[in-house]
Amino acid sequence: MPLRANLSALDNIALIPQYRHNLDYAAASSLAWNLLLLAGQDGAALKRDPQLNPVERFVAKLLRAAIERPPIILIDRPALLLPDTHYPPYLSNLLERLSDHLNDCWILDYRWNEPLYPLPLPRPLALR
Amino acid sequence: MPAISNFLTRRGAALLATSRIWRATLGLAGEVVVAAVSPAVYNSATRTVVMKQIYFTAVQILVPFTLFAALLSFVLIQIVVGTAANYGLSDYALEMVVRLLVLEVLPLVTALFVALRSGSAINTEVALMRIHNEIEALEDSGVDTLRLEFMPRVIGGMLSVLSLTAITSVLALVLAYLAVYGWQPWSLPDFSRVMGQVFDGAILTSIWLKSLAFGLAVTVIPVAEGLATPKMLFMAPISVLRGMVRLFFVLMFIEVASLAFKYI
Repeated sequence: MPLRANLSALDNIALIPQYRHNLDYAAASSLAWNLLLLAGQDGAALKRDPQLNPVERFVAKLLRAAIERPPIILIDRPALLLPDTHYPPYLSNLLERLSDHLNDCWILDYRWNEPLYPLPLPRPLALR
Repeated sequence: MPAISNFLTRRGAALLATSRIWRATLGLAGEVVVAAVSPAVYNSATRTVVMKQIYFTAVQILVPFTLFAALLSFVLIQIVVGTAANYGLSDYALEMVVRLLVLEVLPLVTALFVALRSGSAINTEVALMRIHNEIEALEDSGVDTLRLEFMPRVIGGMLSVLSLTAITSVLALVLAYLAVYGWQPWSLPDFSRVMGQVFDGAILTSIWLKSLAFGLAVTVIPVAEGLATPKMLFMAPISVLRGMVRLFFVLMFIEVASLAFKYI
């Protein structure tokens, strides 16, 4: 799902615990800020969707999903979300940084892209 | 005979579709109004989204729109005051200006402005959300779309119309005072007496109700039209076109009803 266009990346991520647990804005944005720092994208925190580049947008969407720590996060065909990025090592690195905040993370990609991924895949990554 | 039958079938289908969208619009307006006055609906997320919506719908456009309204008011005041002087009706100039600008022109221009700026954007956003199945996706993940998506837009639009109407009306009153009495404060009692004559209880109630109806229309109609968009990308501009046409007629209907209430 796209980000809300009139909210910054930080606000988009913080909105999830605000909605699900009625967490106040200060606490929710602090959680979101920590995740952005961990992902190395704190520079994108105050940008709104139209100002984000594809990598920043991808990270914002991933963190929006990860902030609730769901049992599984599925990344569907990452090449569509990360054009012009050598995405297998980028994803591997990003998910390793966030590993303490993720349970299982599955990547759904075409079989012919399998050789692009570094093996063995670091936890919590699994290729489907 | 088949031609007549085809024609009647097409007209009947169009009539049913129109009645469906009107029912949906009225239903949505009712749901939004009930949600908007229910304190339980406002959790931390809803408050954040409503505040942002108010900022983008009302605050961001405040300065340019106020400047435009000041220019429009200045020109219309000069025309009315000048014409009244030519016909020896200067005593009535202030009342005419107030009735023309504050009761009729400014609320309507404000509603049209918010409709063009925010209504069309809301219609497009909701239509694209529907076409891309985002509304179903949100609901499937347990998000109350009325509370998080539609109600903030409606509240933002209503507050935008109400606040811009109030600010531009006060500005028009100041300009009218200056045009009629000049740069001096000694005519304030006369000015207050004319204001008291114009703004009786019924007129004040009608202007509030009209502005509320304008605010509700400029947001609920685009949302309802967006939600009724068939799931085909090429239907998005058609949805916006239909929404804006319906919105125009509703705004005009509200204006005519208000005029009839006040003057007939």
